[in-house]
Parts: sequence; C-alpha cells; structure tokens
Amino acid sequence: MSDEHEKMLPIANVGRMMKKILPPSAKISREAKERMQQCASEFICFVTGEASDRCHKENRKTVNGDDICWALRSLGFDNYSEAMLRYLQNFRGFERENANQSNNCKAYKGEEKDEESNI
Amino acid sequence: MRQPGAYSKLLSGGVSGKTGPHSLPLARIKKIMKKSSEDVKMISGEAPIVFSKACELFVEELTKRAWLITLQGKRRTMQKDDVASAVITTDIFDFLVNLVVEDRNNSTAAVAANKLG
Repeated sequence: MSDEHEKMLPIANVGRMMKKILPPSAKISREAKERMQQCASEFICFVTGEASDRCHKENRKTVNGDDICWALRSLGFDNYSEAMLRYLQNFRGFERENANQSNNCKAYKGEEKDEESNI
Repeated sequence: MRQPGAYSKLLSGGVSGKTGPHSLPLARIKKIMKKSSEDVKMISGEAPIVFSKACELFVEELTKRAWLITLQGKRRTMQKDDVASAVITTDIFDFLVNLVVEDRNNSTAAVAANKLG
C-alpha cells in the first residue's frame, strides 16, 4: 500500500490545489481526490516519457526543463508550455543572480585570504 | 536584547529553502519521473520544478471541468465520476481515459458480481 503512494503525488497537496480553484462552499469526495491524484501522477509519467524520448533521439542523458516544455507542447498542452517557458526563464534568472551573489562573496573572501598569506 | 533580523525570517520562511515555495514535493516528482521509463536516467534540478507548476495547472484545469459536471448534476460535492467525465470529454486528457474507464469498469463489475452472489 505504501509503495503505491510513493508512486503518486501526496493526496493532501492535490486536495489543496483542487480546493484553491473551487468556491469555498464546494466539497470534494475522498474518491475524487484519489482519482485526481492518480491522474496528476499519470500526467507526469506521460509528459516525462515524451521528454525522455526526445533526449534519447538527441543522444542526451539528462532530461531538463526545456525538454519538459517541449513535451508539453508536443502533447497538445500548448498553453501550459508557454506558461512553463516563462516560469523557467524567471527561475533561471533568479538562479543566475543567486550564483553571482555567492561568487562575489567567495571572491571577497578569497582576496582577504590572499592578503593574509602575503603578510 | 537581540532582535531577530529580516534575514532570519528568510531562513525560517524558506524562500529558497529545501521545501521552497513549490506546491508539490520535488523529490516525489523526481521519483515518479524515474518510474515512468527505464530510459530516464538523469534529471536536471529544474525539471521537477517545472513539473510542480505544470501539475498545478493540470489539476486546476481538470478540477474546473469536473466541477462544471458536478454543477450540471445539481450537486455541491465533486465525485470521482465527475473527474472521469471531465477526462472523457476533453481531448488532451485522452491519455487518462484508460485509467478512469478501467476503474469505472471494475466498480461496475463489482456491483454486478454482488447482485449475482
């Protein structure tokens, strides 16, 4: 039983996402959440399979964010694909800024160490 | 007396911490991706993050469509068959048809078996 749950998204998270989009008075049966949990997990498998095929054809070993975006478009999820490309660009910009900031810190510390060794 | 600074809030709030602002656990997403095919060997760090957002959009869309069916039935509680009907009536969700119909067939078969027995 626990094995099955390991292969799916947590039902609590799925339930929260469903509630967020519905009116406050709406109720969702446990079985409906379970079904959504299965569907969402299958969605990941389906899109990953397509992305992985593309990587395989291009002799690449690593499935990356662009592959996921491409797979979404290829499978008919055009609007998701566009939204994900924007999300990915923002995320990469954020990561670059973080990397630059930590590089600056390291460089500053490096300079301090050099000064100490000169003495 | 020492006061907590703005930076400590960032650390406890987890803007870019292990859990982060994502609505789904990234490790679980990665597990599901690996299970999807033996060909999937390596996954970049950003792929589960993209999926976290994509799954949100997916769940939102399927939920909205299922809810319309719930309302058509003059009900306020979404049932699993509402989700199944939403899948069946949406072209891009064709890949889920076997998943939801199989379940339906199993439950119908179980009811039929009970009646006979």
